[in-house]
Amino acid sequence: MNNSMRTFYGWFTFLGLVIGGLVILGYYRDEYREWKQYQHRFIQEEIRRATTPQQKALAETTRVEVRQILLPELNRVDRCTTCHLAVEDPSYGGYPQPLAYHPLHEQHPFEKFGCTICHRGQGRAATGADAHGSVPHWDQPMLPMKYIQASCGQCHEAADNPAAPELARGQQVFETSGCRGCHKLGGVGGNIGSELDKVGARRSPEWLKQHFLTPSAVTPNSAMPPQKFSDADLDAIVLFMLSQTGESAPGYYASMKVIPSASQGQRLFLQKGCIGCHSIAGQGGKVGPALDDVGLRRAPEWMMQHFRDPQSVTPGTVMPKFGFTETEARALTEFLLHLRERNVVSSLPSLMNPVERGHEVYRKYGCAGCHGLDAKGGVPNPNAKTAEQVPGLIYVADGYTKSELNTRILKGQREIPALDPKRAPPPLYMPAWGAVIKDAELDDLVAYLVSLKPKGEDVGF
Amino acid sequence: MNAPLLKRLWQTFARSRVGRSIFRVGLPESNLERSQAMTSSFLLHIQPAKVHKHSLKAGYSLGLGLISLYLFFILIGTGVLLMFYYVPSTDRAYNEMKDLQFVVSAGLLIRNMHRWAAHLMVLFVMLHLCRVFYTGAYKHPREFNWVMGVGLFLLTLGLSFTGYLLPWDQLAFWAITVGTNIAGYAPIIGPKVKYLLLGGNVVGQEALTRFYALHVIVLPTLALIMVAVHLWRVRKDGGLSRPDESGDVIEQIPLGQLPTNKSYGLMELARGTTPQVGKNPEDEVFSWPHLVFREILLFLLVAAVVLFLAIFWNAPLEEYANPIYPPNPAKAPWYFLGLQELVSYSAFWGGVVIPGLLVTALVLLPYLDRARAGVGRWFARERVVANSIFTICLLAAIVFTIIGTYFRGPSWSWVEPWQQPPAITEGR
Repeated sequence: MNNSMRTFYGWFTFLGLVIGGLVILGYYRDEYREWKQYQHRFIQEEIRRATTPQQKALAETTRVEVRQILLPELNRVDRCTTCHLAVEDPSYGGYPQPLAYHPLHEQHPFEKFGCTICHRGQGRAATGADAHGSVPHWDQPMLPMKYIQASCGQCHEAADNPAAPELARGQQVFETSGCRGCHKLGGVGGNIGSELDKVGARRSPEWLKQHFLTPSAVTPNSAMPPQKFSDADLDAIVLFMLSQTGESAPGYYASMKVIPSASQGQRLFLQKGCIGCHSIAGQGGKVGPALDDVGLRRAPEWMMQHFRDPQSVTPGTVMPKFGFTETEARALTEFLLHLRERNVVSSLPSLMNPVERGHEVYRKYGCAGCHGLDAKGGVPNPNAKTAEQVPGLIYVADGYTKSELNTRILKGQREIPALDPKRAPPPLYMPAWGAVIKDAELDDLVAYLVSLKPKGEDVGF
Repeated sequence: MNAPLLKRLWQTFARSRVGRSIFRVGLPESNLERSQAMTSSFLLHIQPAKVHKHSLKAGYSLGLGLISLYLFFILIGTGVLLMFYYVPSTDRAYNEMKDLQFVVSAGLLIRNMHRWAAHLMVLFVMLHLCRVFYTGAYKHPREFNWVMGVGLFLLTLGLSFTGYLLPWDQLAFWAITVGTNIAGYAPIIGPKVKYLLLGGNVVGQEALTRFYALHVIVLPTLALIMVAVHLWRVRKDGGLSRPDESGDVIEQIPLGQLPTNKSYGLMELARGTTPQVGKNPEDEVFSWPHLVFREILLFLLVAAVVLFLAIFWNAPLEEYANPIYPPNPAKAPWYFLGLQELVSYSAFWGGVVIPGLLVTALVLLPYLDRARAGVGRWFARERVVANSIFTICLLAAIVFTIIGTYFRGPSWSWVEPWQQPPAITEGR
């Protein structure tokens, strides 16, 4: 074999070693996984805490492996427990992460819900950074604990959930600040701003906060006026927005959706026509007994039984068996118990006068967003002829007849007269509400608007 | 006998009953055995027993075709491993990518190797094409092998492009959307081709299914067959192209005029440029070990480079594909960015006419340019016109690709790469 062949053997050896080295390096990088050190730490801790030989043997034979919760219905795989190994062991309460115990929540067992449905993050990932989700190309980072109640709103009605007061407050702020005047949520609202049904899945808390304080900073040329919320209200409405992810819970999860609550019971009370026989505050039928004080007279158990089968507790009663589900019966019971409080009665729509109902309509469709909370106007609308503001509505009774108001609301006004035709047209306009606001609501709304004119004042246009 | 230990062990095995039954010849010691090593092995016999010294010059071929072939082998190997996990479903494909990354042993490494080998293969097939042009190697008798090479180049692009969609992330979804839109610009057949590719008007499950079938069955099988034919023709055409030598060209004798005083074997009926064993003995060396060793060495080098890239740089994986939020700008794979840049000026001229003309010109080239001068030498002076035209086209393609890659920002506006704003997705 000549010399040139010998150099070949040298190269073979060299490249063989290089490839061998690379394979070993690749193997090491693949074999070293962050979660393994947490599992070893956990096993060490278990061995340390073992009091009997059996416990010790059990701890020593714990396998180091990926652990995961499979949630096929939610299309999720949560591997969080690969590092957070002690979430279900109360004796690990107060341990530093990742070995801390997760406080019990028996309504949401781990094996049925996993972790990411509430906490977000990346369930399939198995490194800290990736799993917690603050990495490029993952748009669901973990929800800060401050906003964790937003997750309740993905499945539950905000107002129904006594465990999520911040969420209820956020909804309250949303409904009373007139957001619906421009934004649609659940199909109800104006079309000047974007739809909010999936906003919580797309936007970060920081973005939302910025958006409320100075909309134009995150959405150039936004027509939305800056909002003046208190800090608590701001957090609450950000939280409420985060809850609007547009995800619909499947099967099992949807069946858990209704939390029996007084407000749920109130809706049922009106839907099922109870008012036809029973009265509250003097309103309603006289066939059955008045219910104002039923919460004082009857125990909750009695009421539950009554809803299941009226005959069983009141023999001979004419009330039929309605076939309420257990959840519905509980919600109705909650409602009747709450009737002792006055404000519940006054918020029953059928018991209110047209002006009060109209005010509700005014709030429901977000008229306040542009025309102001008490219809006094003041929201800036640059270059609008009306003093560059959206006009107040207090004196509409002087300028319009009821039918003119009807038309105005139903048809809207797309073109707002400009102060200076050379500048950009005013961004805000009056949407047409014809397809949204129903007849009865319209009558109530107009009644409310007409009632706004201050008593005894006659400016005389 | 002072041979190294490994060699002695190998010899002992190769001469044993089992060894001989497998290899027939042990490590060759004589020239006879060196010939037998090539001709008696299925894997080696596609190559001749002796090879022209010119073919072994690294500076001539640069090993570009062989590198492409090795990358193709690596792609088949890693691709099969990926198929063990991958499911071509819009619901699951993306999740499988995540599982490969986070829980499958060596999953990320294998995916990285596949990705890098794929990009490198596109690059090296292009370089191979350039080499063959600049050395004038496409001329008689290799005209049709050049045409097959152009076909293999297009197949390589097709393989890479169909593979691009499979991870089903934003990058995949929008690159394929842009790429198939370009295909749709062709008149009359364009929209039909696009519909046929996607199985619909937009990228969705049907497109994924089709791209998957094309990527793992149709195109690789086609490519494998064409590679085999391509290599076989290289041998039949007398090995790699080289400068004409007087001894190489033999007048073919018409059958009817054969002298009658001699009996002829099949060898003498063969075509003029078939390697004439013994014709120029001083110019030829035995393929074993001169060719085979070089080939093995090159494979080791390619494998090492791919491994190195795969260990240190991960294949990208963006957000789950979302048809509602296109990244701005949405860009095609890099090898189509020159095309996308052209399309931004005119969909018809840039997306149809120019690429159509270029491919047609490539296919017709060996039949148009028939001058024999300058074959087998880099940048031969006799070929200055052809080389200049090719270089101008090549530079234009490179410049447009660079512009498309680095100088185009949101809405395909001009940006300087050093102040490139991040692609605008929906702000978070």
